[in-house]
Amino acid sequence: MIDEALIQEVTEDLYSAALRRVPPDTIRALEKARHQEEHESARATLDLMLRSAQLAEENDKFVCSDSGVPVYLVEIGARARWQGDIKQAITRGFAHLVETITPPLLKHVNNPLTNERGFAGKDMPSISVDLIGDADYIDITCVPKALGSGRWASIKTFISPSLEDIEAFIMEAIIEAGSQHCPPVIVGVGIGGNFDLTAKLANRATYREVGSVNPEPILAAMEERLTEAANATGFGPMGVGGSTSVLGVHIDYAFGHGYTPVAVCFNCWINRRAKARLYNDGRVERIF
Amino acid sequence: MAVHHLTCPPEREAVDQLAVGDLVYITGEIVVTGGLPAHKRLIASLDAGIPLPMKIEGTFIHLPHMVEETPDGYEIHYVNPTTSTRFDEFMPRLIEALDLRIVGGKGGLGAASVAAMQKTGCVYLSLLGGGSAILSAAIKEVLQVEWRDFPSHFRLSRLRVEGLGPLTVGIDAHGHSVYQTLESNARERLPQILARLADRRETFSQEQ
Repeated sequence: MIDEALIQEVTEDLYSAALRRVPPDTIRALEKARHQEEHESARATLDLMLRSAQLAEENDKFVCSDSGVPVYLVEIGARARWQGDIKQAITRGFAHLVETITPPLLKHVNNPLTNERGFAGKDMPSISVDLIGDADYIDITCVPKALGSGRWASIKTFISPSLEDIEAFIMEAIIEAGSQHCPPVIVGVGIGGNFDLTAKLANRATYREVGSVNPEPILAAMEERLTEAANATGFGPMGVGGSTSVLGVHIDYAFGHGYTPVAVCFNCWINRRAKARLYNDGRVERIF
Repeated sequence: MAVHHLTCPPEREAVDQLAVGDLVYITGEIVVTGGLPAHKRLIASLDAGIPLPMKIEGTFIHLPHMVEETPDGYEIHYVNPTTSTRFDEFMPRLIEALDLRIVGGKGGLGAASVAAMQKTGCVYLSLLGGGSAILSAAIKEVLQVEWRDFPSHFRLSRLRVEGLGPLTVGIDAHGHSVYQTLESNARERLPQILARLADRRETFSQEQ
């Protein structure tokens, strides 16, 4: 049975896990980048990143001090059955985490109108819901979003853009973020849809497995050439030079119209995110 | 890639020798904060001639920190750098007024700060973002915490560190900034990068 208590427990655990561990796909991508990196100092930084990830996991420490703001994606299968209020469960899970987590979190949530700081805010946590068709489970992804994964996002609405226009905009966003967002980053791109869907597509694209190949050939080719292009900028690990500025460019798209919003967002090198699958019978499977 | 071990506060000569890209480990007392309010209060104090609550001897790093006061003293839970460019408008004044030798954080500082650093003889050290486990282990003691009306990471704290590093010299004391160089290089390369993208688009569409 998927009930409120289970959802609360799972979402709390996902947040805590996301703070303490660099996901396995990202570790693999960093190791691969370490082998391919051309600059000695950049290789040293990538080694340091891998060591930091290992130490945090072994010693159950946070990878970063900024626990960010809680962002959850809830994907509900058509045959999923649950009891209770999912939003309330996630909200309570985060509140309980704040009270009990060791080491304690810092007050990273603010009221944007007054700058008052705390652990809670209006409409928090950020929860987006998707309906995923024929499945007897609910997938929950938890992503603590801080500066490196939030601040440098960019969106622009074009009129019937060419791929050339879109790729030039993506490169501009990459150069604008430059050294600032704890590279090497995952770049997420959303093309088309309406304004909020475009942003959602870009954000979700960052959640995709690093190193996975896009099933759409046109996007797979685009991702490959943009990864090469982004790494040719030279910003490198931590933005102090090198040939590894991104670990991947992930692109998704939706229906279009004469107007086409394009969104670009980033996830910093620790690429923290955690996902669990809750089955109707109460089983919980960690996806990553 | 030279490796240096500096004792804080460092002599100007030691700082003058550092080149962009060098690695540095620092030992000694450093003052840290991660907050905009702390920067504003520092500037307001300097403007009003109010003495600062602690002596800032040459080293000032953008390092948010989770410190708790316990009956046995301060307990340091973790530290991790924050983006220094957020403080760009305050840093030139602080670098000059406090005669700083080392500033640091992540992401670098802008042109006005680079000029101020050249005047005082100061370098910018890049700390690993997401390096909390490594960096926190180098914090040996919390010596002083002030401005407790702010959340922990925004307070002004004086720490004793041993072998904090490796940190990368991002800006040297002679006006060279890896951040400025990399940004202008990327802008210069952009036309070629876009041309290469166009070639690859063309190749892909021919293959289809």
